[in-house]
Amino acid sequence: MPSRRRTLLKVIILGDSGVGKTSLMNQYVNKKFSNQYKATIGADFLTKEVQFEDRLFTLQIWDTAGQERFQSLGVAFYRGADCCVLVYDVNSMKSFENLNNWREEFLIQANPSDPENFPFVVIGNKIDIDGGNSRVVSEKKARAWCASKGNIPYYETSAKEGINVEEAFQCIAKNALKSGEEEELYLPDTIDVGNSNQQRATGCEC
Amino acid sequence: MNNSISSSSDASPIQFNLPPLSLSLFDAEPSTPQEEPNGVVHGSSVSHFEDSISNEIEEMSIRDHPPSVSNDSQTSWFPGKRHLDEDDASISWRKRKKHFFVLSHSGKPIYSRYGDEHKLAGFSATLQAIISFVENGGDRVKLVRAGKHQVVFLVKGPIYLVCISCTEEPYESLRRQLDLIYGQMIVILTKSVNRCFEKNPKFDMTSLLGGTDTVFSSLIHSFCWNPATFLHAYTCLPLACATRQAAGAILQDVADSGVLFAILMCRHKVISLFGAQKASLHPDDMLLLANFVMSSESFRTSEAFSPVCLPRYNPLAFLYAYIHYFDDDTYLMLLTTSSDAFYHLKDCRIRIETVLLKSNVLDEVKRSLFDGGMHIEDLPPLSHSGSSPHLGQHSLRLDSPERLRESNSSAGGAAGLWHFIYRSLYLDQYVSSEFSSPINTHQQQKRLYRAYQKLFASMHEKGIGPHKTQFKRDENYVLLCWVTQDFELYAAFDPLADKASAIKTCNRVCQWVKDVESEIFLLGGSPFSW
Ligand SMILES: Nc1nc2c(ncn2[C@@H]2O[C@H](COP(=O)(O)OP(=O)(O)OP(=O)(O)O)[C@@H](O)[C@H]2O)c(=O)[nH]1
Ligand SMILES: [Mg+2]
Repeated sequence: MPSRRRTLLKVIILGDSGVGKTSLMNQYVNKKFSNQYKATIGADFLTKEVQFEDRLFTLQIWDTAGQERFQSLGVAFYRGADCCVLVYDVNSMKSFENLNNWREEFLIQANPSDPENFPFVVIGNKIDIDGGNSRVVSEKKARAWCASKGNIPYYETSAKEGINVEEAFQCIAKNALKSGEEEELYLPDTIDVGNSNQQRATGCEC
Repeated sequence: MNNSISSSSDASPIQFNLPPLSLSLFDAEPSTPQEEPNGVVHGSSVSHFEDSISNEIEEMSIRDHPPSVSNDSQTSWFPGKRHLDEDDASISWRKRKKHFFVLSHSGKPIYSRYGDEHKLAGFSATLQAIISFVENGGDRVKLVRAGKHQVVFLVKGPIYLVCISCTEEPYESLRRQLDLIYGQMIVILTKSVNRCFEKNPKFDMTSLLGGTDTVFSSLIHSFCWNPATFLHAYTCLPLACATRQAAGAILQDVADSGVLFAILMCRHKVISLFGAQKASLHPDDMLLLANFVMSSESFRTSEAFSPVCLPRYNPLAFLYAYIHYFDDDTYLMLLTTSSDAFYHLKDCRIRIETVLLKSNVLDEVKRSLFDGGMHIEDLPPLSHSGSSPHLGQHSLRLDSPERLRESNSSAGGAAGLWHFIYRSLYLDQYVSSEFSSPINTHQQQKRLYRAYQKLFASMHEKGIGPHKTQFKRDENYVLLCWVTQDFELYAAFDPLADKASAIKTCNRVCQWVKDVESEIFLLGGSPFSW
């Protein structure tokens, strides 16, 4: 169990419902994409092994639900994150405007020790749609916002076509690693559940 | 399994014994005054409302499109929401056999089974007008009859639920279904949502239910295949006693480590469950929780952690559920009060998984799923000696999976027995036999469940006193119902079955259930005293 300490990097993916958080994760972890929307409920948890500078790490990815009703329930998931990924849909202005809320909410709830330098990565997704003709958020505008928030790395992706997804997650891993080394990694309290060998009757009458 | 949640292939019209429908169902057709139980308002006293409805829904008829959980042919944004293009002006919408609506007390649509909620705003306002008019008059609308249609209302604080149906289901059943829909909403949002309405009466709740259409459509679908929806009981997957015991022991173990409820299920059937001290789980909560989990695709892809509310346990607060699928059908739910228990629950799951694998539980589960439960063709003769209620030749086929079924040759069991449901009142559990060949289509099964439902409602009518037995013969079946202090038995026979031998057969069924009870029920041990 202690081996988990240094090799585990916790990544939170945030953004409005439908921007493609689950799709990005699926493309990254399973190399799969589905056109069907399946709303995430609460948060899904996935892990992926990544290699970085000769070391193996486990990325622990929390894919959260963007649906409105979950927005006040983030605390449990945010705490102890090593990197936070903010996703918007380049074809939806609202999803871009909400990035600010997502970022602030995260900083309040996760309460990292050095909020100024906490690693975020911003992803503008769905660049494939309509050959880019229906996009409403320009790359320039997005980059300007990222710059204003302490030079957040920015990627434009298509979870559908698999464009730039690997690169974005490479950057995510790298940044998570940096923050992991700088501050103490979150290790959850483990309740002692050791006495599992105790035999108990379940009262089955056979 | 016949009881699979998705039955997407079945889109053919379902024939009911209704005359062909005419244009104006809600037209003058004077509804003969009839006494309804429970202070039901019947048609004539609110006839002017019927007029207002008649503009909105006329000519609903006999087509039914069973919902399917995964509807791939449709690329709508929300899976499970069908016929989004429809509104109350579309013919197809009017023709649906059974509508469910949820709206707010200010008349804002919250949920509609068919069609887009926002397009139905006008219709919702009409429903709201009906409800508030009668409420102001000191009366509570519960039921309006209009020709073949029943309109059932349920008011839950600021939330109104309405069912419009021409399925001939009894009022009590429809009301119960509305209750479950409300419960499902509480599972997702808790009752605290009422506070939003207190602050802002015009509050729009639809946004809070985003992405949950499949949860409701799958619940509504279960009204026609899952007996738990009317029995107030849950059912177990048949398993050898030792297997269930192995699962129960490890669940109890984690329950002792700060998990409120540990529930292991296979589809809608319980493998084993355990609650921490004093915590008890109501069968309705189990139904709604299982439906919530099974209908949310996102739980199947990875481990998940989500807030859920158990309305019968505490409607005001969220619990947190860790959900993990071991395979396509078998899943574990660990519930806790602590929002940051994920890692602890994950560790619990790993321990549970290890034990389940070691004691072969998951393989046994698969085998049971494949073999099915009680096949009526296997109904043993009455044992005259007080033979021991143990595994043996009278047991389920848990020990002989290789045995082949001659499924087509037999037309039911002894005395023309086709199917039965046995509900143990003491355990709050029921067991339903497998369907025999005379009722092997989805439509026949749905019809049988509706018949059971009717029987259940009539046996439980208030003020009439507990019936002991009921024997009913119609062109479809002979139905026999037997209620005692300990159990209820519902049995369906060939319509030509002989009454005396049917009764004898029921005795044999009860004996059989007793003989194999340790395999089909979760017995004792757990502190479930609801
Ligand atoms: N064309 C295109 N469609 C995409 C892309 N990414 C996601 N989608 C589609 O967008 C819809 C929503 O994607 P999800 O990944 O489920 O969105 P989400 O952000 O996880 O949504 P929530 O779980 O509700 O928060 C799905 O129908 C996807 O198929 C993309 O890069 N291109
Ligand atoms: Mg998602």
